[in-house]
Amino acid sequence: MMKKLRRYLSPLLMALMVVGSLPVAAAPVNSGLVSTQDALSAERAQDDRQRIHQILARDDVQHQLEAQGVDPADVEARVAALSDAEAAQMAAQLEQLPAGASVVGALFAVFVILLVTDILGLTDVYPFTR
Amino acid sequence: MLTARSPRHCVAGQRHARFAGAVALALMLLAGCASTPELSARARQALPEQALLERIPFHGQRDYQCGPASLAMVLNASGVGVTVDTLIPQVFLPEREGSVQPEMLASVRRHRRIPFVLEGTFDALLSEIGAGHPVVVMQNLSLPAWPVWHYAVAIGFDRQAEQLILHSGMTPRQRTDFARFDATWARSNRWAFVALPPGELPATLSPQDALTAIADFERVQGTRAALPAWEALARRYPHHAMGQFALGNAYHDADAPQQAMRAFNRAVQADPTLGVAWLNLGLLRQAQGQHAAARRALRAAAELEGPWQAQAQLALDAHR
Repeated sequence: MMKKLRRYLSPLLMALMVVGSLPVAAAPVNSGLVSTQDALSAERAQDDRQRIHQILARDDVQHQLEAQGVDPADVEARVAALSDAEAAQMAAQLEQLPAGASVVGALFAVFVILLVTDILGLTDVYPFTR
Repeated sequence: MLTARSPRHCVAGQRHARFAGAVALALMLLAGCASTPELSARARQALPEQALLERIPFHGQRDYQCGPASLAMVLNASGVGVTVDTLIPQVFLPEREGSVQPEMLASVRRHRRIPFVLEGTFDALLSEIGAGHPVVVMQNLSLPAWPVWHYAVAIGFDRQAEQLILHSGMTPRQRTDFARFDATWARSNRWAFVALPPGELPATLSPQDALTAIADFERVQGTRAALPAWEALARRYPHHAMGQFALGNAYHDADAPQQAMRAFNRAVQADPTLGVAWLNLGLLRQAQGQHAAARRALRAAAELEGPWQAQAQLALDAHR
């Protein structure tokens, strides 16, 4: 479904950006300056496709946060506070996290290994080894 | 991307003991002992023997919420009176039982503080503490194969004893050996950040990284909120062209066109090839009715190849 949405959204956004980049001369005199954010993304040589990608990334993250059990009422403000780079990072990597795999489980083998590495000063899992 | 979790204890069984012993022995032989990180000569000289930030409030973590707890500590320390309970719905991921790094930074912005991610070095970590800034650090307390991700707040150090002092988990002012801490910190690629009010800068950070951090804050909170940060950056790095350019924009949005033009001027003096600064200088002079000077700046912008050339040419043509 996301794929389909993207197919429709991309040309629309592309058109919006073209309109958005039309002459500053038409803008009101006092607000025609180039913003710092625009200057920085131009400096990083981002093309329109990358910028579209970033806009879609925020959409992705919004869905992912809801899927992660975040209250829908909180999602929008959380996504809005992300930088473009952070939103892109979240969109690309949040799903790949091994869900629930990172628990120190009931394996005795692991207990002993971590106990030894704790004593060696390589880890800090069990406070009683300090 | 990493998720922070609090340590859990585990249930012991019997069968795997021999195997575990062999693995542990192998690990011991392979890994050797954790080594104490070295400070640079400059840092050794500049830093005191000991430091402890006494006034950083402690919030003990509940369940897996070391992320919100660490955030509350540094935000409180910078004058934001926010509670852990307010922060939980802003940063915690229920399904992951943890908080991810980008959202830690994002929630700092929501509370009108600027998150500066530090260079991951012991120098930077101790220098920030020395400058009075508590540092949120991310650690993997366990081994990469069975990670136990954890956020804590570094608030002090003792170089003689080679110990770092942290508000961590349920323990205020926990002392951890430099070597052990560094081994656990290295597993997050030594990720750390400070949360500072606009106008304060970290003790150690490249101007480019500071600029990015402030620009990201500005996108969320607006140019007026960011203005003191741009002023501070320009004070510390007066010859950084992009910094002066950003300051000019912030002054312009604060209805201070004279100061804005001066900042744009400093930007093009620092880097005469910064086309976008010439362009904004020209547009602003034009709005101020300084037509001859505006044309000079716009012409300079139109002569520089790059993304702003066309726009500058258009403004120049419209100006005729």
